Amino acid sequence: MHDRLFAGCTLLLCLALVVVGWAYQAPFAYEPVGPRAFPLLLLALIGCAVLYQLIRPSTGQHAQAEPALDRHVGRKIALCVAALLLYATAFEWLGFIPSSVLFAVAMARLYGASTWQSLIGGVVIAVGLYLLFDFGLDVPLPLGPIAALEN
Amino acid sequence: MDTLHYLGIGFGVALTPYNLLTAFCGTLIGTVVGLLPGLGPVNGVALLIPIAFALGLPPETALILLAAVYLGCEYGGRISSILLNIPGEASAVMTTLDGYPLARQGKAGVALSLSAWSSFIGGTIATVGVVLFAPLLAQWAVAFGPAEYFVLMVFAITCLAGMADNKPMKTAIAAMIGLFLSCVGIDANSGVYRFTFGSLGLADGIQFVVLVLGLFSVSEILVLLERTHHGQKAVKASGRMLFNVKEGAFVLATNLRSGVVGFVLGVLPGAGATLASAVAYMSEKRMARHDNRFGDGDLRGLAAPETANSAAACGSMVPMLTLGVPGSGTTAVMLGALTLYNITPGPMLFQNQPDIVWGLIASLFIANIMLIIMNVPMVRVFTRILSVPTWALVPAIAIITSIGVYAVHSTTFDLFLMIGIGICGYILRKLDYSLSAVLLGFILGGMMEENLRRALSLSNGELGILWGSPIALAVWGLVAVMIALPIWRAWRTRQSRNTAVADSRA
Amino acid sequence: MNSTRLSTCLSIACAMLLASASALGKEPSRPECIAPTKPGGGFDLTCKLAQAGLKDHKLLDAPMRVTYMPGGIGAVAYNAIAANRRGEAGTIVAFSGASLLNLALGKYGRYDENAVQWLTTIGTDYGTLAVREDSPFKSLDDVVQALKKDPKSVSVGGGGSIGGQGWVKIALLAKAAGVNPRDLRYAAFEGGAEHYMALMGKHVDLVTGSASEIRAQKANKIRTLAIFSEERLPGELADIPTAREQGYEIQWPLIRGYFVGPDVTPEAVAWWRDRFATLQASPEFQQYLADRDVLPLTVTGEDLDALVKQQVAQYRELGREFGLVE
Repeated sequence: MHDRLFAGCTLLLCLALVVVGWAYQAPFAYEPVGPRAFPLLLLALIGCAVLYQLIRPSTGQHAQAEPALDRHVGRKIALCVAALLLYATAFEWLGFIPSSVLFAVAMARLYGASTWQSLIGGVVIAVGLYLLFDFGLDVPLPLGPIAALEN
Repeated sequence: MDTLHYLGIGFGVALTPYNLLTAFCGTLIGTVVGLLPGLGPVNGVALLIPIAFALGLPPETALILLAAVYLGCEYGGRISSILLNIPGEASAVMTTLDGYPLARQGKAGVALSLSAWSSFIGGTIATVGVVLFAPLLAQWAVAFGPAEYFVLMVFAITCLAGMADNKPMKTAIAAMIGLFLSCVGIDANSGVYRFTFGSLGLADGIQFVVLVLGLFSVSEILVLLERTHHGQKAVKASGRMLFNVKEGAFVLATNLRSGVVGFVLGVLPGAGATLASAVAYMSEKRMARHDNRFGDGDLRGLAAPETANSAAACGSMVPMLTLGVPGSGTTAVMLGALTLYNITPGPMLFQNQPDIVWGLIASLFIANIMLIIMNVPMVRVFTRILSVPTWALVPAIAIITSIGVYAVHSTTFDLFLMIGIGICGYILRKLDYSLSAVLLGFILGGMMEENLRRALSLSNGELGILWGSPIALAVWGLVAVMIALPIWRAWRTRQSRNTAVADSRA
Repeated sequence: MNSTRLSTCLSIACAMLLASASALGKEPSRPECIAPTKPGGGFDLTCKLAQAGLKDHKLLDAPMRVTYMPGGIGAVAYNAIAANRRGEAGTIVAFSGASLLNLALGKYGRYDENAVQWLTTIGTDYGTLAVREDSPFKSLDDVVQALKKDPKSVSVGGGGSIGGQGWVKIALLAKAAGVNPRDLRYAAFEGGAEHYMALMGKHVDLVTGSASEIRAQKANKIRTLAIFSEERLPGELADIPTAREQGYEIQWPLIRGYFVGPDVTPEAVAWWRDRFATLQASPEFQQYLADRDVLPLTVTGEDLDALVKQQVAQYRELGREFGLVE
C-alpha cells in the first residue's frame, strides 16, 4: 500500500520535473547531447519504474527490524521534524548557543529525558559543542544577538 | 637504488622527535575531526593550515602535520559509520553497510579494530605504491581523459548493480533518484542552471555533505526516535574488542585487492576515495560466494571499503606531488598550503626539494603506524559512545550534523535542504529502498554525464572516442567481466546442482 | 642599495603616518574573510593573503578567520552580504574578475554591482593560452590561422562552465580570429587544474589559463603562447609575449580584491582601506605577493568603484555580443 502511494507521488513529481526540465536550452553547446537529455532520460526511467511499482508492487518481504508506525510515533516524528525546522530557522537568527540549548532540551524531552536531565544536558551539549567547534576546530558559528555583548 | 637513498633522507626528516610529535598530534586531531559527521579531511586540513603558520612550523613539518590529519580523518570517518550508522564523511558511506550491522550484533569492537587494521593495510599498500611508482602513475592519471572517465563510471554503475539483491526494482529506482539529483545545479557543459528553481543555494548543485547527512543522519535520528518510543535499547558493545587471527586471515585477500583498487582509483583526480570504496565493496561482493552475508555484517564488506578509502587517500597525493594538480578536495587545500609556503609542487619538486617530498612520503608510513597503534587501544573508548543515553546522544548528533552542514556554505539554506532530504530519506528507508544506492548514483551520475558530454564536445559528437584508447577498451573489458561474472557463477551453481542431483540419483 | 633603503624608510614612515591616522578608528570585532568557494584555489588564497599579511604586519589584533561560502562562483556569498549581513564591519569578502563577470551576466540574482561597497584590490591576473611543449602551435598566430581554416581543427579546454571566465577567453580569441565561438570545439573542465591535465594527456590541444598558473605548470612541459595583458608582465613572466604584440587586441585582466556589506559605516570602511594601504605599501608584502604568483595591484576608494562599474559594463556588453544575456 505504502509502496503504491510512494510510487504515485514519485510519478507525479517526475511529470512535474519533466515539465520544468523540458525548457532547458543551451545558448552554447558543443556536443549533441545538450543539457536536458540526461535528466529527462532519468525522469523517464524513474517514471517507468514507479509505474511498474504502481501496478505490481514488489512482493519482496520487508526485511525490517523497525516496527510499524502508529499514531503516537507519527506524532513524535512530526514533532521532531518541527524541532529540526525551528532549529534551522533560529540557527542564525538567535545565534548558535541559544538556539542549540532550546533545540537540545526539546530533543532530549522527545527522546525520553526528565526535565532536569534535558535542561542540564541541553546547556552542556550546546555550550560544549560551541567551544569545541568555534574555538577547537575553528568552524565559525553565528553568535546572533550575543555578539552585541562583546562590544 | 636512488629511491631507497631518498626514502632514507625522508625517514631522517620524519623521524626527528619534533616531527614525530607533530605526526602524533595530527593523527589525533584527524581522528576526532573525521569522527564528527559532516567534518571531513578538508575541514581538518583547512583548520590546521593557519595554526601551522601561527606556530611557524617549517614547511616539511607542516606538510607532515597535514598528511597525518588527512589519514587520521580517513580512520576517524569509519567510527561513526560503524557505531551510529552515520558516515563521518563521504568516503565512509560504504562502511555503514556492513559495519553497522556488525555493531548491532554486538561486535562493535571487532568491527572497529578490524577496520583500523584494514585502513592500515590500505594505507601501507598505497604508500609503497607512491614510493615505487609515483612518476609512472602520474602518466596514468594524465592518460585518463573525459572518455576514459566516462567508461570508468559505466564500470562503477555495473558494479552498483551488484547491490540489487532481492529487490532489483527498488535499488534501480534509488540509484536513478541519485543520478537525477546530480543534475541539479549549473550544467558545466552548457552553463544552464537545472532544477534550481531560482535558488542560489542550489546553483552549485546539492552538496555531497548535505545529501549524506540528510539521508543518513536525519533519517537515523528519526529511526532512533521510533526505537526509543518502542523501548528498544540502543546497541551495546559486548564481547571482544579485537578481531582474532582467523578473522584477519579471512579478510586478508580482500584487503590486498581493495588496497590496490583503492590506490589506483585514488590516483585519478576527481574519482577519489568514495568511488574507490564503492568499487572495492561492490567488486568484493560480486566475487564472494553465494552464501555471503554482505549487507548483513560480512567482515569482507567492512574490510573492502576501509582498505580502499585509506589507499585512495594516499594515492591522491600522487598527482599533487608529481604534477602539482590536486587529486581530491583535501589535496587542493594542501596545495594551497604549499603555495603559502612558496613551494611550487610538480615534477621539479622531487629534484629541488627532495627532503620535503620524501619527508612527506615517510611520514605517511609513520602516520599509518601511529594510527594503528593509537586506534586499537582506543576501540574501548570509542565504543563508550554507545553507552551514552539516547536522549543526550541524539541532540548532540543532530547539532553536530547541523554544524557540519552549515560549515559548507555558511548559510541556513543547506540546513533546510538537509532536513528535506532527511525526510525523504526516512520515507525511502521505511519503504526499504537502499539509501547508499541513492548516494552512489549521485556521485557517479554527475561524473558520468559531465565526462560523456565533455568527450563528445572534444570528438565533435563522434561516439568513437568512447572506445578510442587502450584504457577505455580495457575498462570496457572489465565491464564485460562484471556482467559476465554473476551469469557464469549462476551457470556453475546450476551445473553443480545438476551433478549433485545426478549423484544422489546414482 | 641606498635607494632601496630609502624606499623602505619612506614606506615605513608612510606606514607609521597612516597607522597613527587610523588610530582614530577602532578595529572591528571578529574580523572574518569570506572566500566564496570551497577551500583551496584563488579565492581562498586571496583571503589567506589578507589573513597572513595583516597578521604579520601587526595591522590586526584579533586573528582573522577564513570562512568558506561556495555557491554559484560567489553568488551565495554576494547575496548573503547584500541581503542579510549588510552591516557587519568585521566581514570582508574576496572577489575576482570572475565574480564581476557573473555579476554582469545576471547570475547573482537580484543584486547588481551597487549592492556592496568595494573595498580594495590586492592583485591582478591575466588570461593566457597554453599548449604542450611539443605542440605545432608556436605562436598565437598559428592558432588563429588554424582556427580560420577550420574552427573544429583545434580542441580547446578551459576551467569552469560555459559562459564562465575560462570560456570567455577562448570566445575572445575566436572573435579576434573572426570565427563564431559556437563553431569551436570546446570542453569545460572542473575548476582547478583539470584542464591542464587534459592538455598533458593530449585530450585537448589548447587550454585557456591564467598568468598565476604559469609557474606551477611550467615544469609539466607546458608552454604559454600568449598572455592577455596590455604589456609584458614583470619578472619571470617577461619572456611571454602578449596577444597585443602578436597583433591581436585581446585583453583579459582579472582583478582580485575584497568588498564589504552595504551598511558598513564609512569609518569602518576607511579603517579597512587604511590597513590595506599600509599593508600594500610594505615592500615585503609586495615580495610576498610576487612569490605567490599574484601580480600586485592597488586600486581603492572611488577609483575601484569606477573600475568595477566599468568592468561590469564591459562584461555585460560582451555577454550581449556572445548571446549569453538578452
